[in-house]
Amino acid sequence: MNTGVFNIPFKAMLTLSWRNLWRNYRRTLIMLAAISMAVWAMIFMTAIMRGMVDDMLHQGVANLPGHIQIHHPGFRDDPSVVNSIDAPGGELLAALNDSQTKSWTSRIKVPAVISSERDTRGISLLGVEPESENRITGIAEQVVEGRFLEGDDDRGVVIGLKLAERLETRLGKRVVIMSQDPDNNIADRGFRIVGLYKARLEALEEVNVYAARGTLQKLLKIGDQVSEIAIIDKDFRDIESLYAKIKAATPDNLEIRAWYELDSYLSSMLNVMDGFVLIWIIIIFLALSFGLVNTLMMAVFERRREIGLIQALGMRPGMIVYQILLESLLLLLIGLSIGNALALATVLPLESGLDISSVAEGLAMIGAGSVLYPNLRLDDMILANVVVIMLGTLTSILPAWHAARLDPVQAINST
Amino acid sequence: MNLFSLLKPLRAGLLLSCLAGFASPAFAAEAPTADELIRLAMNHWRGVSSYSDMTMTVHRSDWERVFSMQAWTQGEKNSLVRVTEPRKDAGNSTLILDKNMWSYSPKVNRIIKIPSSMMSKSWMGSDFSNKDISKSTDIIDQYDHTLVNTEEKEGHSYYTIQSIPHEEAAVVWGKEVVTVRDDYVMIRQEFWDQDGVLVKEMNAFEVQAMGGRTVAKRMRMHKTETPDEWTEMSVNAIDFDVDLPDSIFTLSNLRNPRK
Repeated sequence: MNTGVFNIPFKAMLTLSWRNLWRNYRRTLIMLAAISMAVWAMIFMTAIMRGMVDDMLHQGVANLPGHIQIHHPGFRDDPSVVNSIDAPGGELLAALNDSQTKSWTSRIKVPAVISSERDTRGISLLGVEPESENRITGIAEQVVEGRFLEGDDDRGVVIGLKLAERLETRLGKRVVIMSQDPDNNIADRGFRIVGLYKARLEALEEVNVYAARGTLQKLLKIGDQVSEIAIIDKDFRDIESLYAKIKAATPDNLEIRAWYELDSYLSSMLNVMDGFVLIWIIIIFLALSFGLVNTLMMAVFERRREIGLIQALGMRPGMIVYQILLESLLLLLIGLSIGNALALATVLPLESGLDISSVAEGLAMIGAGSVLYPNLRLDDMILANVVVIMLGTLTSILPAWHAARLDPVQAINST
Repeated sequence: MNLFSLLKPLRAGLLLSCLAGFASPAFAAEAPTADELIRLAMNHWRGVSSYSDMTMTVHRSDWERVFSMQAWTQGEKNSLVRVTEPRKDAGNSTLILDKNMWSYSPKVNRIIKIPSSMMSKSWMGSDFSNKDISKSTDIIDQYDHTLVNTEEKEGHSYYTIQSIPHEEAAVVWGKEVVTVRDDYVMIRQEFWDQDGVLVKEMNAFEVQAMGGRTVAKRMRMHKTETPDEWTEMSVNAIDFDVDLPDSIFTLSNLRNPRK
């Protein structure tokens, strides 16, 4: 920086910049409005998108179900009863019951056909142990009529509201479920509907039918075999240590997979989202930057005489750049504070859920529910603010550089 | 007769009608209980073999199809049906061994085992489902039977039996109501849903002596909601207690018929 009499102290520069800002308060206010809106949009929309993706991930992981699954190697290609596995025992059982596992369950999952007097539909029949199943999928909380299954040998079934509607049946009536045993013989049985559930995704209501595990094992003549073992860890983003541990305990003839391997769509969503947030913020900023450059440029043009004068008085070009950058920095900081406050004020009240059921059908297609829970993350907020400050200052260099290069004589004489 | 074993869904009533011509001692004395009616029917029907020639008419409001077919039955478990007319469908066959069912079509030259997902689909476009056709007679054990009415008409006693499926029976109906004549011919069978609404019914017509027994020549199945859509099975000729080689009820015979 400069030395000598024109080495203006920072405080004076600050005062100078602050006053310059408010000399044309209308222009400043418009600019502030633009910056705050842009920051608000960055943070608010990011929170909404994060919420939507988190919802998809949570539901996807809950529907898989579990963060880690163990199957017969052929099960995922051919989910038939032939590809069943023995109930976990020995080393695997010990690893599953270890305190590091949050919860686990084993379930039967076979294709089946359900019939009422009026209609017949294909379903995915799930044989579950009610208590541990509920810890993993929360299905019992979704039961809206009747009850969920009780115990491993409950003789009823729980079906979705939508399926009940399609079958023209209801709570308390009997339905027949038909599937095949491992020898390809038909296995069928009447079940009374003891509960109806409402899933967040309608598509699931039509497909998943819950029966007790023990009851189905008897029906399908598979002893104590199951189709899959589902395990959940505390946080689905961080399962590596548990995965490695259970993998070590799993017999070699079984296939073990983490959720991101089971559903690569979900895992790529998670990765895409981080990149997407940055791109989104930069796109909004690009639109904003034109306004910013324009405003500062106009300010420079308007103050040509003044700049020429202070240059003639001895102010170095460097100080002029300094001052104009300081002005734009002040503008950005005020805009950012208003924008952040605005975003917090709009997102926080919505965190309990935003009902968007009018577009639920479309959302269900991408696997999201009809209630949106915006997810405001500190790192997204910081990212938005840092991007605006950095790029904003960078954009201001152009007008500042322009001002510094004015010829004092020409500038003073210009009208 | 095979018709009856083919239409095993029609269970109780049909089985009873299979008994046509037999007079049971239990029957002679006094009105038998519903369970006895069913049991006797079961016992008599077992081991009976038959060969028949019949016609199936599938009627809809705007079209009608008529099939001619041959059928062989043996005991309560084995049946084979082969379509002879119209030419388009000739050779299409269905083999039932116990609860399992296979179909063969000469056009594709393939034997297909009917999977459980197909069991509720219509059998050859009729009002009978594959399940109706193939269901084994052990379903009889899965009902509680009560005699609800006895009526004298035209010199015969008509017994009306109400059959309610057990809790875990693989039956969707709330109840079935069967009317049987005292010579074991099933006159009428009704299928009621669990709300007490009549869903479909089967009626027998032209009860007469054929092949040495009294049978219903025609049986018509229709859904209550669509009275102008029905399927009728008509027996043209029938022989009972014929000597059938075991090779009839095999997959190779299904594919390559040898007479």
